[in-house]
Amino acid sequence: METATLDGKAIALGDAYKHAAKILSGAAFPLVAGLGADVAGARAAILLAERLKGAFDHLASRETLADIDVKRSFGMFTTTANEARLRGDCVVLIGPGLTRAWPGMLERLALAEPPRRGAQAQQPRKVIWVGPEGDEANAVPGAKVIPASVQELSGVLAAWRARFGGRPVALGAEKVALIDGLVETLRNARFGVFVWSASTLDPLAIEMMQALVIELNATTRFTGVHIGGRSGASGVTQAAGWMTGFPPRTGFGRGYPEHDPWRFESSRLVDSGEADAALWISAFDGEKPSWSRADIPLITLAPAHTSPSRGLFIKVGQPGVTHDAVLMSQETGGMTLRKASAPTDAPSVAQAIGAIMAEVSEGAWR
Amino acid sequence: MALTVLRGGHIVDPATGQDAIGDVWFEDGRIVERPEGRSADHEIDVSGHIVMAGAIDIHSHIAGGNVNTARLLLPELHRAIRARLADTPLSTAKWSSYETGRLYAQMGFTTVVEPAMAPHHALQTHLEFNDVPIIDKGALTVLGNDDFLLGMLRDGEKDGAINDYVAQTVENTRSLGLKCINPGGVEAFKENMRAFGLDDVVPFYGLTSRQIFQALQKSTQAVGIAHPLHLHMNNLGLAGNIDTALATIDAAQGLPLHLAHVQFYAYGKEGKNGFSSAGALFAEKVNANPNVSVDVGQVMFSDTVTISSDVLKQFNSLPGAIPKKGAIFDGDANGGGIVPYAYKISNYYNAIQWAAGLELFLLIDNPEQVFFTTDHPNGGPFTTYPELFALLMSADLRAQHLARLPADVLEHTTLPSISREYTLYEIAQMSRSGAAKLFGFVDRGRLSPGAVADIAVYKPGRDVAGMFRRAALVFKDGALVVRDGQVSHYTRGKTLHIRPRYDQQITNRLDSYYDDLYGLPRSIFDVPDAALPHKDAFAEVPCRI
Repeated sequence: METATLDGKAIALGDAYKHAAKILSGAAFPLVAGLGADVAGARAAILLAERLKGAFDHLASRETLADIDVKRSFGMFTTTANEARLRGDCVVLIGPGLTRAWPGMLERLALAEPPRRGAQAQQPRKVIWVGPEGDEANAVPGAKVIPASVQELSGVLAAWRARFGGRPVALGAEKVALIDGLVETLRNARFGVFVWSASTLDPLAIEMMQALVIELNATTRFTGVHIGGRSGASGVTQAAGWMTGFPPRTGFGRGYPEHDPWRFESSRLVDSGEADAALWISAFDGEKPSWSRADIPLITLAPAHTSPSRGLFIKVGQPGVTHDAVLMSQETGGMTLRKASAPTDAPSVAQAIGAIMAEVSEGAWR
Repeated sequence: MALTVLRGGHIVDPATGQDAIGDVWFEDGRIVERPEGRSADHEIDVSGHIVMAGAIDIHSHIAGGNVNTARLLLPELHRAIRARLADTPLSTAKWSSYETGRLYAQMGFTTVVEPAMAPHHALQTHLEFNDVPIIDKGALTVLGNDDFLLGMLRDGEKDGAINDYVAQTVENTRSLGLKCINPGGVEAFKENMRAFGLDDVVPFYGLTSRQIFQALQKSTQAVGIAHPLHLHMNNLGLAGNIDTALATIDAAQGLPLHLAHVQFYAYGKEGKNGFSSAGALFAEKVNANPNVSVDVGQVMFSDTVTISSDVLKQFNSLPGAIPKKGAIFDGDANGGGIVPYAYKISNYYNAIQWAAGLELFLLIDNPEQVFFTTDHPNGGPFTTYPELFALLMSADLRAQHLARLPADVLEHTTLPSISREYTLYEIAQMSRSGAAKLFGFVDRGRLSPGAVADIAVYKPGRDVAGMFRRAALVFKDGALVVRDGQVSHYTRGKTLHIRPRYDQQITNRLDSYYDDLYGLPRSIFDVPDAALPHKDAFAEVPCRI
């Protein structure tokens, strides 16, 4: 496996870095996209986008921004997996595929065990799962399953909130009784926790759930655990936050960061022709870009097995696998250093971008 | 590095008692005596200028998960408006870590302490520090709502084990000392208590706030941490909470104690609004208790956001949020609450807050006992310090502001009667020599030989705030980083930390505790060197013992 290729043909790594710098420096509005990287890789990529006066986006921004949009337009209650594990006496899982989005979820939240703090300690934990996928919920003995499709999740949450507020809903008496029972369970929780992933919830559904959380907190404690997006999305978002003030989908065309979830969405930028070169970073699994245009000058940083036949490819290592990497940890909700499980000498995203950056001049600033 | 002399400036250096025209020599990043028989490689004429050590901010929320949540919560609060200069990436990205370093440096600040680092989120704080250019940083680690400590206190464990835990946590999180935020109150909020005073009892632990902070206060002394326990008291922001503050000072056992952002506790219940300034009463108490130091948390009229690990208080503040939104995070111990707010000069309560803060500054006699914070960004952003210094230095300027406050405010504050004006020397005591003493820094906040060559040079003029906002020259570790109020390039500051001693046994005990309770290796919360982009990120500050 070559460490770098140009249109599928091997080239020297040093030449690849120079060539990448040339493509990016020559572009009027280059895009740094994918951003599937650890924190060091994200830092390097954002600094490169800034120097180039381009834009940056992450491949899971849709999910990340669903949560952030609710936070910044409405507000949000959250807790850590640890607190959910120790105190959560009523855990409400929302939507399908949570165990796929977070493979360690069941063990980390210890759903089969009782909570350990407060008056609820050693009392059986109530687990409710709305709209699980297939037999996903069977892994939690005693979980109450409420079947719902992804499309129905918003409606379910809305009905719960309406009944919590004592408002009428246009449902049959049997369903209303069922909902009223559930709402009573929520009301009687001492430390209730919603668990969700924005990969299956839209912002309105997340807001409905958070509004219910606020209302529940009038008399008891209730909060939430959100499951972060794939390919290091949470860590990248944090780094973007302290470096620029904003999450991904931020551009530097005017010499300072501007955040606009529509304007700086990577597929739109490429397909509209607004971006005229792209650096695609996907170091975890080599996920491909979702834009449709094939003629944009493209540099790909990805693991070995994903070498594309078109454009410039530079092989990079996988964060936490081939090299030590700082990542946002779903199990703690904080950043942690993951030691390499199978170290190699493949460059990290930060190292590869550092080598490209060294070939990109600072350019003209006022 | 070349031998440099700043020639003929007015040196204001309370640490050495200087307040006169003189020269400052430095070489290789340190202040030096004037060397015999050598001439300077660089001679800079600073006649007509004020020369001070770089300023030290002892309490400013500049980094960590809660600060970052606030950034993401409020994009409208920090739209950038101008392009940066060369060689200063992201320096005009508003509220970014990079801009923070640039703005502090421009004001002549060279060391800043972030006062609320959660032990389980220490790595992010340190990563953010790494991206704050130029200035040196440090943090205080938050304890006092954590099960391990509360459990030890409940079980009546010996002081030795508690001391070891404190020292180990400070070392492991790489901080400068301990902060305690509404001790027990945040845990109580998880048990659905909505108010928590000094003698309220934490459910299931049977401990009062008083007992928790006293234990931490003693441990801080026992393990030789120079900075006294940094306490965020109960009942922040409530009318009549002066009683809590006075009782807390009485509970301090005569031991060193630092009280944070005390303006937010200087409230009586007088007047038709049931809200008055108790700044004078508070100041009198501080004057009578030399073991206590305070920072003010001055309110400056502006749109801002409150960021606090006092989750109970922040939850209670949500209904008053401006704009109406907020984030409440029930963390492993303290967590955080982020609630935006706008302080308005026309608002009775805000005007009382503003007046109470200034009373504290002006009525506390010793400038090394009171510090100038705005509790950035809680009372206002740190960029308002220059205006604050100007207010302290001019009774006329205060009178102009007082004329704009709601009239009934004047009946409930002593501020109109206070004529004291801070001198430059007193400003330097508060922002340099006193701040350094408070953290046990022996080589900063001063211009004596051997000290770090962090130097701020100001051009005096009628506009006092302008003088402090744009330093004429700033040297960091001897390197010129600011000229005419503008940062010319970045240097990389250090993160300062201490390493108190402890018995290693506590480490094994903590490891088993984490395994049992969380099912996680405790090392997942570590701050290893390898996690940071640069190898030499840290600099150790010696402990008191």
